[in-house]
Amino acid sequence: MEQLYQLLRSCSWFAKVPDCVLFWVSVAVPIGLVLAVYPAIFAYTTLIERKALGRIQNRLGPNRVGRWGILQPLADGAKLLTKEDIVPRAADGFVHWLAPVIAVIPSILLFAVIPVGSGLIPVNLNIGVLFVFAISTASVLALFMGGWASRNKFSLLGAMRAVAQVVSYEVPMVLAAVVVVMAAGSLSTTAIAQAQGGGLLNITNWFVFRPWGFVGFVLFVIGAMAESARTPFDIPEAESEIIAGYHTEYSGFKFALFQLGEYLAALAMAGITATMFLGGYNGPGNDLKYIGWLVGAFWFFAKLMSIIFVIIWIRGTWPRIRVDQLLGFAWKVLLPMSIVNVLAAALYHFINPKPLAWVVTAVLLFIAWLVLTKVGAPQQIEKRVYRYAD
Amino acid sequence: MNITLGHYLALSTILFAVGLAGALTRRNAIIVLMAIEIMFNAAILNLVAFWHFKVFATLTAQMFAIFAVTIAAAESAVGLALVIAIYRHYRSVDVDEMKALKG
Amino acid sequence: MNYAFWIISAITLLGAFLAVTLRNLVHCVLSLILFFLGVAAHYFLLRADFLGAVQILIYIGAVAVLILFAIMLTRNVTGTEGPREVFGMKWWSGGVIAAAVAAFVLQAIKADSVTAATSTTQANSSVAEIGKALVADWVVPFEAMAVLLTAALIGAVVIALEEVMRRR
Repeated sequence: MEQLYQLLRSCSWFAKVPDCVLFWVSVAVPIGLVLAVYPAIFAYTTLIERKALGRIQNRLGPNRVGRWGILQPLADGAKLLTKEDIVPRAADGFVHWLAPVIAVIPSILLFAVIPVGSGLIPVNLNIGVLFVFAISTASVLALFMGGWASRNKFSLLGAMRAVAQVVSYEVPMVLAAVVVVMAAGSLSTTAIAQAQGGGLLNITNWFVFRPWGFVGFVLFVIGAMAESARTPFDIPEAESEIIAGYHTEYSGFKFALFQLGEYLAALAMAGITATMFLGGYNGPGNDLKYIGWLVGAFWFFAKLMSIIFVIIWIRGTWPRIRVDQLLGFAWKVLLPMSIVNVLAAALYHFINPKPLAWVVTAVLLFIAWLVLTKVGAPQQIEKRVYRYAD
Repeated sequence: MNITLGHYLALSTILFAVGLAGALTRRNAIIVLMAIEIMFNAAILNLVAFWHFKVFATLTAQMFAIFAVTIAAAESAVGLALVIAIYRHYRSVDVDEMKALKG
Repeated sequence: MNYAFWIISAITLLGAFLAVTLRNLVHCVLSLILFFLGVAAHYFLLRADFLGAVQILIYIGAVAVLILFAIMLTRNVTGTEGPREVFGMKWWSGGVIAAAVAAFVLQAIKADSVTAATSTTQANSSVAEIGKALVADWVVPFEAMAVLLTAALIGAVVIALEEVMRRR
């Protein structure tokens, strides 16, 4: 934003234009770009998702609207917009109306701190990562409000599950991000992306190629998937158990808003993951002289879309896990692992030479993983005891 | 008229009074806890305003605010756990009904 | 700064007022969240952006969600309270006490000269500065806070788990 303002100011064409106009233009342009680009990506992500899931399930996916179904998102949008908006009579009208709005706002705010290229960031906050976590926890309120206001027991169950899940997965996710903050020495997303530049082809300095970075990456992706309630962590909206969870009682445009918020949150989390672990805009050729920013933006969106694809792939192949498994996994495996990971990152920083540090931390993390997942784990899954149901 | 430190102090006083009124008048234990949170926040707002208007030269006020936020979080966790325990015992969260110690 | 102050203050006051007067518990928590947001906005306005983010993360992300959970766990799912005498004796006495406290403190604020201070911090407080201060000058309170949080965590679990332990 500031760079854009400086650029416009220095350009001789705009010398006559008053300062305040330039200021508002430099504010409006990034906002407009964010509001245009990411929802467009969202629309086509839904199409890619349906196509990919179709292939995984041995069918074709949408192929009627336009060639290869490329107009399908428009058709979906038109259908949802023209549907009747039904509000249950018992529902809490105001909260029921507010929930979809709240679902979208935090997801869009997240894009404010994601650097698309070197210097191409809407706002360079010096508390970027903290801002991301603050905003993304706020999104759980929308799920709760939607579920509670519907006055439907399935919605309420979905809301409770969503709250428990997001609160549990927040902790390992923050600890996984702490590692990156320690290594980059800054909370700003720009500084984190810069810290991963250099090295061979601008690749070797990505944090994912460190042992702690790799573990952090995996933990963060799991946390991000749980936080945006993607399969296999989609128990807040598990169709086979509680209809559609918190958005059971939503239809038409409000339902579309919930979907928009959820997908935008997933996109934003993929963008943050790419920035924090996969080097952001760093890649071969992003330091070229005039087209470097374009190459950087290309690498960024390529990484973002590959993370999205992996998430879709996981959704197509893994079964949904149970509530108790979900919470147990967060507190008994992810949390200790992320704490060990913080320790490993500190060790890596203090051990020289670096190859030795690499081996030491890798061994430490591998042992931790073995202890947490293999030792003491039941050899066969025991029959579940129903404590309250009988 | 410029915003002075006094504006912030007045705002936080009014917020504190609202919280105090809530804590004194409401009977639901959860709302009493919420009112206490409002009072906490009013006090922390004061500290940050003191820092902003350079009443203290250093970061002291912000440090104090950070510690106060931490304590408030711990307090609310324990407080809500107590509310749940009390609910299990009395089947109620009405503070007026918890008078087992009343002579 | 002026308009922003008045608007945000109005929102904050509205949130606080609704949080202690509304009848429905969940509505109360939602207004409390509005109040927390208003306070966070004030922090951003006061250039303490680290505290603003912490406010959102801890109060909205953790405390408000915890309160919602407590409401659900006390089986009062719709959040409605029983009938209550709106302007009873207790309401009046509480209101009068709060108003008296407010009037007294406001009087003191008006009388004191420090409140006219208008010179302000211009730069945002840097996170690095806060971090260094936490582990240098403030390391003892910092560690004490760690112990306190651990104790609170264990205490909360023990209190809330009481029934499960008794059943076994």
